[in-house]
Amino acid sequence: MSYLDLTITDMHEALVAKKVTPLELAKEALERAKANNDNAFEGYMDEQALSIAASLKEPEVNNPFWGIPFVIKDNFATRNFPTTGSSNILKDYVPCFDATAVAKLLQAHAVPIAKSTLDELAMGGSGITGHKGPTFNPYDSKHERMIGGSSCGSAVSVAASIVPFALGSDTGDSVRKPAGYAGLVGMKPTWGRISRYGLFPFAPSLDHVGYFTRSVEDAALSLAVIAGRDLEDSTSSTRPVEDYTRLLKTDLKGIRVAVIKEIMDTITNPTVLKAFDQSIVALREAGAVVDNVHFDKRLLGTIYPTYITISCSEVTSNNANLDGIKFGPRFEGNTYQEVMFNARTAGFSELIKRRFVIGSFALMRENQDVLFLRAQKCRRKIVDTLNDILKTYDAVYLPSAPTIAPKFKDSHDQLSDEYLIADNHLAFGNFAGLPSLTLPIGFEKGMPLGANVMGRAFEEAKVFQIAQAIENKTGYRNLSAKEVRV
Amino acid sequence: MNFEPVIGLEIHVEMKTKSKMFSRAPVTFGAAPNTSVLPLDMAFPGTMPVVNKQAVINTIRVCDALHMSIDRELWFDRKNYFYSDLPKGYQITQAKRPIGSDGYLDIEVDGRTKRIEIERLHMEEDTCMQHHLSDGTLLDYNRAGIPLIEIVSRPNISSGTEAMKYVEKIRSIVQYSDVSDGKMEEGSLRCDVNISLRPYGVSKLGTKCEIKNLNSIANVEKAIEFEIARQEKLLLSGIPVEQETRRYDEMHKETVLMRKKTDAVDYKYFTEPNITPIVLSEDFIQHALETCPELADSKKARYMQTYGLSDYDANTLLLDKDVSAYFDEAMKHSPLAKLLANWISVDIAGYLNKENKTIVDFPIEPKRLAELITMIDKGDISNKQARSVFEAMLTSKDAPRVLAEKLGMTQISDTSAILKVIHEVVDANPQSVVDFKAGKDRAVGFLIGQIMKKTGGKVNPGLTSKLLIEELNKR
Repeated sequence: MSYLDLTITDMHEALVAKKVTPLELAKEALERAKANNDNAFEGYMDEQALSIAASLKEPEVNNPFWGIPFVIKDNFATRNFPTTGSSNILKDYVPCFDATAVAKLLQAHAVPIAKSTLDELAMGGSGITGHKGPTFNPYDSKHERMIGGSSCGSAVSVAASIVPFALGSDTGDSVRKPAGYAGLVGMKPTWGRISRYGLFPFAPSLDHVGYFTRSVEDAALSLAVIAGRDLEDSTSSTRPVEDYTRLLKTDLKGIRVAVIKEIMDTITNPTVLKAFDQSIVALREAGAVVDNVHFDKRLLGTIYPTYITISCSEVTSNNANLDGIKFGPRFEGNTYQEVMFNARTAGFSELIKRRFVIGSFALMRENQDVLFLRAQKCRRKIVDTLNDILKTYDAVYLPSAPTIAPKFKDSHDQLSDEYLIADNHLAFGNFAGLPSLTLPIGFEKGMPLGANVMGRAFEEAKVFQIAQAIENKTGYRNLSAKEVRV
Repeated sequence: MNFEPVIGLEIHVEMKTKSKMFSRAPVTFGAAPNTSVLPLDMAFPGTMPVVNKQAVINTIRVCDALHMSIDRELWFDRKNYFYSDLPKGYQITQAKRPIGSDGYLDIEVDGRTKRIEIERLHMEEDTCMQHHLSDGTLLDYNRAGIPLIEIVSRPNISSGTEAMKYVEKIRSIVQYSDVSDGKMEEGSLRCDVNISLRPYGVSKLGTKCEIKNLNSIANVEKAIEFEIARQEKLLLSGIPVEQETRRYDEMHKETVLMRKKTDAVDYKYFTEPNITPIVLSEDFIQHALETCPELADSKKARYMQTYGLSDYDANTLLLDKDVSAYFDEAMKHSPLAKLLANWISVDIAGYLNKENKTIVDFPIEPKRLAELITMIDKGDISNKQARSVFEAMLTSKDAPRVLAEKLGMTQISDTSAILKVIHEVVDANPQSVVDFKAGKDRAVGFLIGQIMKKTGGKVNPGLTSKLLIEELNKR
């Protein structure tokens, strides 16, 4: 076993004990990244990685990120390094500043290894729409299964033990869904907890910076590094950053967990249900009260259309800057409209253009009332319902998906209850901006299954506490696709 | 006239804050193109708007001066359109909830007061400057993102003169509150006019035209008067007015067609998700108002009531904010308001006119002018001498007292010194004493002349004459 296979905490110990150096880790991470064949990367950061790693000589005992290699989703701006959003329209774009989350990791002397692939401009949940084609699930050597998106490359990076930490972004479930398909801990904290400065906007009212780790403890440690007020993002919270690990060793006495019955009713896969039930036993054993609660099924059915309407509306405006004049490849035309039209036609994939059209349509004067504003009302209702549950419960706990990672050929658009509700419910955590964490709870056919803990706003420490109790019971810590193969 | 003009004004005021509305880039005027620009101003992906606090403070001040109700929550919206004057592809503005609503401004026209109602006032960001050339367009993003206040009147303005007075007063408010330079010539105050005509007594509005690109307050009046006449002529000939955007051609003194208006563009407004609503506390608003520089109306009341200036004098000083600031500064060093006002509106104004300068470039500091005025008031120098000292002050930093001495013109106001000369002169001219006693007033004049001759004209004439008569009466 290599030191690179360790979690952040264990790797940190090895670094402090000087059993391994940041440079050795960085070199091996780069090798593994390049050897990986899951189509997970947009660019390898050899130059930065090696020069930063080489400069790290004396271990910093109290800094768990010192010398830790990490991967960055390619929709975070990286200074002097191309950032494509996995879209042709930004193919050669080189930002002149670092996203705040990236800057904070660099300040902590973590070592950037690569920029990872995503669904084009973070739109999509499959990991197949990036400009370089589909990203594969490393747990499936036959490359038949998706890893989910949009943070597909970041999920691969951590699941394949290329790095113990990767930045992602989560607008609907783009960190938490792939985390479930890849046996990872995927975390998005409260909206405003981590600055979004430098994250390419998809739908700002729903966008969150998130990340992948291979243990709950790593996830708790990481948040303190990248959270905090940022003057460049006025929506970032002024609350002080906490020690998010402080409750990890505390049992769950007095903790109340809610399971939404109407969502469970749409899940039919027995392995998923069994693993989930076992994790509930674990929660109860740790002292938590776990109850079934109700959530109007019709309202649950609106989550997906509400998400699509709001996110598409916001995204059409957010990407209006990519017009082939300021950004993107130049396509000539007789008028500025033609230049923009040609650039945007060639630069965006069909899927993206479809979303722009949906968003534009929803925002049109004559449609706003029945589409965009109605979606806002739905969002408000869903959030109110969720927050009502959280008045009496510390967390909502649910499977992160109704199945293991689907095969590419099985992917479909049918609006079944399972698809509408079980497959897309995580977005209500984005509507409400609540802290939400996915962690592994089982396997089927060698493919991981995940569950999700969602807590009250700014109660991240409690979310980690609950997740830790589950991890303690399952023992699913530091899972790696390198060892588990079908 | 057969028709009633219905006129509404949209005024854009460019604020002179240190940084832009949502970006830390400095607000500069006259800097090299595209140098006052940060990634946010060029819409680099991932940059986010941060609301400029001073711009909010400024806007609150203007809202208050226009008697508007101030929204206690700030909301911003996106106005979406594809055009290169804003690189984001949208402008951040306040469409749904403007910070100010339902205000008014009273103006004086021909001695009577008219209340112009104001519908709304909101903050937004300016677009970039476009220089259209024959073979292309150059874009200067220095201006993109500069904070703007937009003030939308209700259409209850009825003439070019009213419109002009309204713009003048708004300019005065934004200038005095230090919000803006308020210069139409330089584009820091811009005015679009909506104008339609309808027969008197008819309530339905006629088709309106918009006039853009007015570059002076005088042109606001001229353009409106022309446009009223143009539309009236059309209507009287039975030709309908078409909805158009027109501009004012200064050379030919007429409005000319820019473009026909088609269906209004759908800007697909929605709430800016990167700015969460900002609550304005009463304390914040109060502080913004308490720290607001004094506005012209308040200054005028002070000039007239406290300083006893006439309406005319007060207006003259207040016409230019910098002139009134000069006056206020001078008043700190000399309480002689009337004299100061005279000197400022006659001597200084004359100089500035002649030299084609503004008071900002005037070489004499207010403190120095106050010193000069004090010397006149004390009788240290005569008005005539003061003008020579004033001339000298234009090219010298020396105090007026020093300059007066250098010019050898300081008056002798010391009673004993004057008495000494009086004694000498009276003693030397006994016949004059006799003449005086005989009631010949000429004698006084003659003796004063002698005294002046002896002192080189340096004695204070009033004082000397008083002392001389006393002395003659004693003899």
